[in-house]
Amino acid sequence: MTHTWELEARQLSKQFPDGTFALQDIDWRVKQGETMALIGESGSGKTTLLRLLNRLVEPSSGKIFIQGHPITNQDPIALRLQLGYVPQDGGLFPHWTIKDNVCLVPHLLEWSPEQQQNRFNTLLPLVNLDPTHIADRYPIELSGGQRQRVAVARALAADPTIVLFDEPFSALDPLTRHELHEQFLVLKSTLHKTMVVITHDMAEAFRLGDRITVLKDGRIHQIGTPQELMDTPATSYVTSLIQHHIGYPH
Amino acid sequence: MRYWLSNNHHIPVTPVGGLLKTLFLALVLLIWASPVLASANSTIIVGSKNFLENRLLAEMFAQLIEAQTTLTVERRLGLAGTQICFQALTTGGIDLYPEYTGTGLVTILGETPMRDPVAVLNRVRREFRQQWNLWWLAPLGFDNSYALALRRDRADTLSIRTITDLTEVAPQLKAAFGYEFIQRADGLPGLKQLYGLQFRNVVGMQQSLKYQATDAGDVDVLDVYTTDGRLAVYDFIILEDDRQFFPPYDAAALVRGKTLEQHPELSRVLSLLTNALSPERMQELNLRIQEQGEAIPNVAFDALRDLQLVQKGKSSASTTQQDSTSLFSYMWDRRMPLLVRTGEHLGLAGLGLLLGTTVAIPLAFLLERWRKGAETMIRLIGMSQTIPSIALLAFMIPLFGVGALPAVIALWIYSLYPIVRNTYSGLRDAAPSVVETGRALGMTEWQILRSVRLPLAAPTIMAGIRTAAIWTVGTATLAAFIGAGGLGVPIVSGLQLADVHVILSGAIPATILALLVDGLLGWIEYILRPRGLETP
Repeated sequence: MTHTWELEARQLSKQFPDGTFALQDIDWRVKQGETMALIGESGSGKTTLLRLLNRLVEPSSGKIFIQGHPITNQDPIALRLQLGYVPQDGGLFPHWTIKDNVCLVPHLLEWSPEQQQNRFNTLLPLVNLDPTHIADRYPIELSGGQRQRVAVARALAADPTIVLFDEPFSALDPLTRHELHEQFLVLKSTLHKTMVVITHDMAEAFRLGDRITVLKDGRIHQIGTPQELMDTPATSYVTSLIQHHIGYPH
Repeated sequence: MRYWLSNNHHIPVTPVGGLLKTLFLALVLLIWASPVLASANSTIIVGSKNFLENRLLAEMFAQLIEAQTTLTVERRLGLAGTQICFQALTTGGIDLYPEYTGTGLVTILGETPMRDPVAVLNRVRREFRQQWNLWWLAPLGFDNSYALALRRDRADTLSIRTITDLTEVAPQLKAAFGYEFIQRADGLPGLKQLYGLQFRNVVGMQQSLKYQATDAGDVDVLDVYTTDGRLAVYDFIILEDDRQFFPPYDAAALVRGKTLEQHPELSRVLSLLTNALSPERMQELNLRIQEQGEAIPNVAFDALRDLQLVQKGKSSASTTQQDSTSLFSYMWDRRMPLLVRTGEHLGLAGLGLLLGTTVAIPLAFLLERWRKGAETMIRLIGMSQTIPSIALLAFMIPLFGVGALPAVIALWIYSLYPIVRNTYSGLRDAAPSVVETGRALGMTEWQILRSVRLPLAAPTIMAGIRTAAIWTVGTATLAAFIGAGGLGVPIVSGLQLADVHVILSGAIPATILALLVDGLLGWIEYILRPRGLETP
């Protein structure tokens, strides 16, 4: 192998106790600095794949590598501290201030209070929020869009090389979603992180992803750039997805 | 990790040091409260059952011992029934109490009734000494038998004078019997068997309320004590026990053999009452308490003074209680004793709740980590809630004696369920997506428990503690049944006296206490509610 992938899954399977497969024989790679969109219906295995990456679940067989090293070589906690994570609803701790929320991982990594404060001050403008104005407020005092920005800031706080997004924008109204898409693309071009974004919205996948992985029933139907998916859909399922979702201008 | 713990995230947990201190304090208090451990050698604990005559006799024993010896007397009066008194005696929770020979024979020994008083006395003396090293002192001179009674006018109308006569008309009559009488072999079950008695309806009723019920015409036949002063006042006639069912119930002091060994003077002093009280005298004394509302200690003192067993004019307690006084002035007059009762009540309930909380919350934490067995465990704890309080106390007396200790333990058991249930559910169900995010970002399970689950569950946990607190304050009235004091004392004795003022003087402070405790805990709940959570 000439190229070391940032993220790689080999022959990855996850079987439930009842015998059904959440994922079956997955071979999957993500380049450094690439944004990979994971699309599929619920039950397709996309969330399981994400949870396997940060070892919230362990595979039944197969292996996952980060920068060529098996993730099982590392303690799960240490691994997770290196991976940014943005859940669907922000997942902010309602009883913590915005600053405490954003500084969670630096805090766990035992950064000094000054370091945390500096990081907070530089991060918030990146997601279009005013650090002084918002630091001591609680999540409930913010709008849904603001909360999601805070969640992104929190994921980036300890400057991870890989950030995982689990349907990060699906709970937002269309206008806010559009705004956050723009913001996401700005961050992508400035920060050069490797990002995995789960979505069930083909339009979003097309917009955000450098490449797209189409999953159905635990198997990969196609991996490719938006253009490749449009030009040569590998299966009828991919065709139907594209027809269904790209039927309108965006 | 040290850094993590040192950072302030508004995490409402009791510091471990403080918790230990509280626990230690609770233990010290518990030991202090334990009657078994606390009863010094020179202290005699006099017990009584929860009816007036028995209390009066116990009070007479107590005053007599105080007057004639150097011993200190502790009173545990109004224990709930024969079984609890007897268990307390065999386990050393009390040293003596007034008992009746017939009750000893039938209820305690489980033998069939006998007619001859001397034979009954000899029988119980031998058996009690051999089985439990308990000693029946010489009888006091009166037989307080059970009997069936009717209003004289009613008996005339029906023209009945004997229980056999009653059998004829019983299917048209309604009877009100004491709860113990309904159960005892020498009570209703035996009567039914011997006479074939069948009433239209039998209701269980507190002894003291029954006379008033006949006044209102609600019931016809009562079980009565033959020394009851109210028989004359309410113009009742006792039906002749023509088939000689009821055994003799000669009153006597029943004393622990060990106590008599340690304090030989006791048997000499108590024997001063041998044959000192005639049935008529007992009726008079009982009547003074029942109808004239005199305080038991005063009546006991007068009875002893008339027998020249105590010095004249030494009675200290206030004299008669005025029926006409308002509830407020009644309670105001007794504000100090009521305050003491309230303090006892709060102490019992507080200690029970404190122990409940210190056990239930860590237990719920363990169950949250071990969810497989959690539901089963919580259901088992829930079952303890369904045990009637008297039954629970009866289980506990052989283990812990009488007094504050078993009461606190009972309250502790009752307080567990709501706290365990709420703490467990609160921790388990605390914002699952937030918990998942914490995990995905690299928090350990312990950090999540401490910094996420616990603060988010705090309002639910406090709600559980509040439920337990109300429940405990309410249930602490049961302490009166086992001589542990509290506001149950005026409630129980008020029921025996059928005196609404006395009942309310316990019930009103108990209600206020429950409201105050609820308010206080509500305030704590408000303080502990993490900022950033919606207020309900």
